[in-house]
Amino acid sequence: MSVGRLAGKTALVTGGRQGIGRGIVDAFALEGARVMTCGRGERPSGLPKEVLWSTTDMSRGDAVEALANQVIEDLGGLHVLVNNAGVQIEKTVADTTDADWDQLMGVNAKGVFLACRALIPRMDDGGSIINIGSISGNVADPGLALYNASKAFVHGLTRSIAVDHGPGLRCNAICPGWINTGMADAAFAVAQDPEAARSDALARHPVGRFGRPDDIARMAVWLASDESTFVSGQCFAVDGGLTAASPLNPALF
Amino acid sequence: MSGTLANRTALVTGGAGGIGSAICRRFAREGATVMAADIAGLDKVGDAGIRPLQLDITSEESVTAAFAALSEEWGRLDILVNAAGIEIEKTIEETTLAEWNRIFAINVTGMFLVSKHALPLLRQSKAASVINFGSYDGFIADPGLAAYCATKGAVHALTRAMACDHGPEGIRVNAICPGYVDTPMLQSFFGESGDIESLRQAVRDVHPMRTYGQPEDIANLVNWLASDEARYASGQLWVLDGGLSAQVQQMRL
Repeated sequence: MSVGRLAGKTALVTGGRQGIGRGIVDAFALEGARVMTCGRGERPSGLPKEVLWSTTDMSRGDAVEALANQVIEDLGGLHVLVNNAGVQIEKTVADTTDADWDQLMGVNAKGVFLACRALIPRMDDGGSIINIGSISGNVADPGLALYNASKAFVHGLTRSIAVDHGPGLRCNAICPGWINTGMADAAFAVAQDPEAARSDALARHPVGRFGRPDDIARMAVWLASDESTFVSGQCFAVDGGLTAASPLNPALF
Repeated sequence: MSGTLANRTALVTGGAGGIGSAICRRFAREGATVMAADIAGLDKVGDAGIRPLQLDITSEESVTAAFAALSEEWGRLDILVNAAGIEIEKTIEETTLAEWNRIFAINVTGMFLVSKHALPLLRQSKAASVINFGSYDGFIADPGLAAYCATKGAVHALTRAMACDHGPEGIRVNAICPGYVDTPMLQSFFGESGDIESLRQAVRDVHPMRTYGQPEDIANLVNWLASDEARYASGQLWVLDGGLSAQVQQMRL
């Protein structure tokens, strides 16, 4: 594997149990990086054995500090941090409870801050931070108020880190669109006719399909690699063209 | 005469069109001396003290002749609204070079010519405001409107450039970027639909405000940008679309 584009690099990917995070873990490992990932539960059974696992709640400062120490100890340093861990709550502002706020903002916003605060001083020169934002941080998905807002936070933090911590570090965000994961399924599940909703959604994608975790992972590999050393402070939408089009397409009615 | 635009002189290109004529009526009501410039349809103009001006904005001769006359008569220009524009409902593959050149000649070159030759008169104003017509299509695409989208992107860039270059001379330059507004252009976009009322309803339903705009809604913002209340507003692209583009594509769920 030493010929991979990330050969010799070390990476921490938060939220690597499933979905986009797992896709990034697999892609990084394939490209030769030494990877640690984490999640709230126990190590998932299918994770490749060379990938390190840490059971960590990203919303807790002491847990993240311990994770940061473990990363440096086990990997010997850190080149790439991917802040992917996130949760989604399908509610409007009026329906959202304090507990919802603590849960969602604790992971999606505070968790990203905690990981960056703990690891920026420990990362190697030339390191790359990759935050997973969302197209929903730019334009609103109905009924996902705090999620949308938390991703806008991620986009703003991305720019601040790029500005404050260059030239030693680069920081960018990837803004996925509709990726086939549990989160997308949950969104379709609230439709009156989930299958019709799915085909309507497909028709709004210029590339004619939903995304896959590896579509995001490919962008993450590039942002982690030395091919992107002049790229910093940007938020890249990877959404199959969805948000390039108007929300209103009379041809679909 | 009292009103927010008392004693101001205003030239509105596309002044016989759906949005342009609403702007002229509003300006007149606010006390401005208004000239409605258009290439045709001027027989409908002339009420409420609005003066018609036959003008081909794609012809530099026609434009310089118009400003020579305005210079004689008014000696200054306080408000220039570049509202003239056309739409071509085609993809790039269907668009002929002649059609491409024509829409750029009107939507972009015409704005350039009118603005360029208005500058000497705008400099004579103590409160010069130029309002260009962009479109939300300059940010995100409506299907089958390729050349139109491209002209509006050009308008947005031109707006910022003009604001930059002529701000030091006391000339403010902004663009309004309408979404769906009830005009002959929109009716044409609805086109050959068999059941236009159900299409209209569907289009309304996609908007967070559950309606599309009226020309008077656009005139409200034009009036503000033209007035002294907007004296610190320049170089901006003002999207006015009933919330349409705040959303991710509105799937039928």
